[in-house]
Amino acid sequence: MADMEFTAWFGKLKLGDAGELEDCSLFDKDPEKLAGLVVELHGNVQDVPLQRPDLREVALESCFVELDEDYDVLLRDVCIRAAKSQISQTDTDDSRIIQAVQALDDIDKNVNELSERLFEWYGRYFPELEMTGEELARFISAYGSRANVPEGHALSEKASQSMGAELSFADEELLRALANNICSLYDTRRYIENYINTSMGSVAPNLCNITGASIGARLISMAGSLQKLAAFPSSTVQVIGASRALFKHLRSRAPSPKHGTIFNNPVIKNAPWWQRGKLARALAAKISLAARTDFYSGELSPSIKEALDKKLDSIRQANPNPPKREPKAQPQGKGGKKTHRGKRKGGKR
Amino acid sequence: MSVKELSRGIYELNLDDRKMLATRNIMPGLSVYGERLIVDDGTEYRQWEPSRSKLGAMVLKNFEIPLEPDSTVLYLGAASGTTVSHVSDMLTDGLVYAVEFSPRTMRDLIQLCDQRPNIIPILADANKPQSYAHIVEKVDVIFQDVAQPNQAEIAAINSKYFLEEHGHLMLSIKSRSIDTVASPKKVFKEEVRKLESDFDIEFEVLQRKELDPFHEDHLGLVARMFVDDED
Ligand SMILES: C[S@@+](CC[C@H](N)C(=O)[O-])C[C@H]1O[C@@H](n2cnc3c(N)ncnc32)[C@H](O)[C@@H]1O
Repeated sequence: MADMEFTAWFGKLKLGDAGELEDCSLFDKDPEKLAGLVVELHGNVQDVPLQRPDLREVALESCFVELDEDYDVLLRDVCIRAAKSQISQTDTDDSRIIQAVQALDDIDKNVNELSERLFEWYGRYFPELEMTGEELARFISAYGSRANVPEGHALSEKASQSMGAELSFADEELLRALANNICSLYDTRRYIENYINTSMGSVAPNLCNITGASIGARLISMAGSLQKLAAFPSSTVQVIGASRALFKHLRSRAPSPKHGTIFNNPVIKNAPWWQRGKLARALAAKISLAARTDFYSGELSPSIKEALDKKLDSIRQANPNPPKREPKAQPQGKGGKKTHRGKRKGGKR
Repeated sequence: MSVKELSRGIYELNLDDRKMLATRNIMPGLSVYGERLIVDDGTEYRQWEPSRSKLGAMVLKNFEIPLEPDSTVLYLGAASGTTVSHVSDMLTDGLVYAVEFSPRTMRDLIQLCDQRPNIIPILADANKPQSYAHIVEKVDVIFQDVAQPNQAEIAAINSKYFLEEHGHLMLSIKSRSIDTVASPKKVFKEEVRKLESDFDIEFEVLQRKELDPFHEDHLGLVARMFVDDED
C-alpha cells in the first residue's frame, strides 16, 4: 500500500505498489557529492524492492542525463571516486596497526644491536657498570664519562675507583650521541605501543578484551588482517598463537611454549598441566569469536569475556585431579587420534 | 598469422603454428598484466592466458559464451581485473560492473578502470546485492568467480536483483572453497542441484564442464534464468 522509497545514485525514487515510478527527485550533478552518497549507501544498506524501474531509463527520462553515453561516463566517474575514497578509509584500520607492529619489530632489532654496541664500547671505560639496554643508554646520555658521576650518586664510588680507561672528549661526545639516539628509539617504541593500545581499542575491542592490545595486534599482524584472523578456524589461531614470532615478542624466559604463546598468559601458565590443553582450546575458540565479532560488528560485547571466564572455571572444576594413566585412556585416546587424523588429511592435500 | 573469431569478440590467433586465445585491445599499446600484444593487419590483440582466467578456460572448453559487444555485465569477484580486462575488450559498446570486496585488490582494479571507459568499479560484498542496487542496472549477464562456500546463493540473490529475464549466469565453482575434503564431483553435483531448486528463482543449466587442465577442481557453468512465461 504505502509508497516505497528507493535511493539510486542520481536521485530518490518514489515507487508505487508494483514498483512503477511515481516520482523522482534528482540529486546535484556534482560527481564528488554523488560519490559521497554512493559510499554512504554501500554502508547503510537500504531495503531494495525487487520490482523497481530500470535505473538507466529513469535517469534518461528524468533528464538527469541526456544520452546513454553520458550515463556511463558520469556513473564511472562517480564510482571510481567512491571506490578510491572507500580505499583510503580502510587504510585507517587494521592495516595501520599492522604497520605499527612491524615498526615495533624494526625498532627492537635496531635498538638491540645498537645497545650491544654501546655496551661493548662503553665497557672499556667503565667495566664495573652493570647496566644494559635502556638503563645504560639513559646513564650515558646523562653523564657521559664516569668522571661526571656526581658525589653522592649510588655509583659514584664505583665510578671513581673504576679500572676502566680514560674517556677522551671526542669519544665521550660520540658515545653520548649514540646513547641519545637509543633513548629516543625507546621513547618512540613507547609511543607506538600507546598508539597500538588506543587503536586496538577501537578496531578490535573484543580481541583486546580477551588477549590484551599488544598480543591482539600481533595476532592481526600475523594473520595479515583482522578479516583473515576472523576467517581462521580456532585451531589455526592456536597454531599461530604458538608461533615463535609471538613468543619472542613476549620476551619471557619461559621454556618453549607448549600451548602457544598467547596461552602463555597466567590463566594457562599457572594451571596444572592436565588442564592446560583444554584451557588453551577454550581460549583459542574465544579469540576466534572475538575477532569475528570485531570484524563484523565492531562493537564490544562483554559477554565473550564472561563466557570465556565461565568456561575456564568449568574446565578447572571438571578436572580437579590429574588423569590416571592407563584405565581411563580409552575415550581420551580417541580424542587424541581425531586431531591426528585431521592433521594427516591436511598433509595429504 | 591467421585469426579466427571463436565467439563474439574472442579470437584464436595462429602464430607460427602456435595457437593462442586473444581479445582485441580497445586501448592499443597498453598491456594490462604483462600479457603479450600482437598486431595483425592494423589490429592489436591481447593474449589471453586460459590458465589465468576461468572465462578464458571456458572458451577453450567450448562453452557458448553469451557475451555480445553491447552486453551489460555484472562481474562478481573481479580481483585485480585480469579477466575483467578481456571482458572490457569484448564490450565495445557495453559496460561491466566489477564487484570486488577486498580493498587491497580494488586498488589495482581502479587503475584498470582509470584506463578503460567501460568498467565501473564497486567495492562491496557480493553477499549483499542491496548494498550496490543503487548503482547497478538490470544486466544481460552475471559472471561470478568469488571462491566462497555459498557461491550458489550469491549467484541466486544477485540474479534475483539484477539479471534480465532470460539473462545468463556464468559461474566458476571452486570445489575446495565449498568443501575441502569431499570429492569435487560430488560438490559440483550438489551445487548444480542447489542452483536448480533451492532458491525462489529458477535456472536452466545450459552447459557445465570442469575446467581442467587449466584450473583443477573448478566447474564452469552457464545457466539461463528461467521465467514462467505463462502468466
Ligand atoms: C578467484 S578470484 C577472481 C579472479 C578473477 N575473476 C580473474 O579471473 O581475474 C576471487 C575474487 O573474489 C573476491 N571475493 C570473494 N568473496 C567475495 C564477495 N563476497 N564479494 C566480492 N568479492 C569477493 C576475492 O577477493 C577475490 O579477489
